[in-house]
Amino acid sequence: MSASSGHGSEPNLTPILDMVFQLITFFMLVINFKGASLDLSLKLPVLGSARPLDTKGGPEPLLLNIDTQGRVKMLGTPVDLEQALAKEARYRERTGGAKKGEEESNTPVIIRADRLVPFHLLNETIKTCQKHGFRHYQLSAMTREEAQ
Amino acid sequence: MKRRRHRHARAKQGDVELNLAAMLDMAFQLLTFFILTFRPAPVEGQLAVNLPPPVAQTKVEMPTDPNAEGDTPVDTDITLHMYVTANDQGDAQQVRVENNPISVGPLDPGKVQMINKRLATVFGVQTTPFDRIQIAVDGRLRYEELMKLVDVCTRQKKSDGSYMQKVSFVELPQGQGQ
Repeated sequence: MSASSGHGSEPNLTPILDMVFQLITFFMLVINFKGASLDLSLKLPVLGSARPLDTKGGPEPLLLNIDTQGRVKMLGTPVDLEQALAKEARYRERTGGAKKGEEESNTPVIIRADRLVPFHLLNETIKTCQKHGFRHYQLSAMTREEAQ
Repeated sequence: MKRRRHRHARAKQGDVELNLAAMLDMAFQLLTFFILTFRPAPVEGQLAVNLPPPVAQTKVEMPTDPNAEGDTPVDTDITLHMYVTANDQGDAQQVRVENNPISVGPLDPGKVQMINKRLATVFGVQTTPFDRIQIAVDGRLRYEELMKLVDVCTRQKKSDGSYMQKVSFVELPQGQGQ
């Protein structure tokens, strides 16, 4: 028999702690670190037929965000595309993803461009990527308009 | 009486009590962090295209009516050329397939559907040799307008039943876009 006195009862914190851990586990499982590479300020064009493409099993795609001024951003920072692609090619050679001097790369390039980007700016980016051997491209679009 | 209370107090000293307050505080800190960093990913999809660098294509005479099925086999190029001109606002002005205008004005859903039907007619011909589409684009055209055309092109089925993925872009020289 418990010898607790009439006053001074302590609340049992175990269930609340258990609930908190459940919530923590949920948020840990759904946290998306790759979202940091997406520039969410861009307004992508809307295409109902666009579908998320599965890149598992293949090389890690290269993600390029292009704003209305034609600036290319990777991981949130504007980059010089030539230097970034050259660095990317060296990295893939080092990690064995590509052979040195290989002209063509199997790495897909995901292009996320704002809907207002004029074609000549987009074309410059694509031509730079083609010069570095990238052939496979995925043009991103929203499947539906985002809710306001 | 005092001895009994003292004995009781000594017995209580042997109990181990776990203070959960500190652990709960830490757990709330973690929870707050994950709640603040949680951001649902936007619903995005992609259109896959192969974009080999544009090469000079030998321009061959094409019949003006893409629906024509003459008896005489025509030795044709395997690239279907599409031309898109735009105005200063970036809207499409005209869309031509080879030399045939198929759409005039901005690309609304009705015009996109019409372009799709015309292309489907071209690719629906069993002897169609086309296995790639080259889109010559006015540099001023907005990306969202271009994507409508790319979407239409990638929905076309080639004679072998596979979907068109070889779509390449070239920029129309300035002056030709007007």
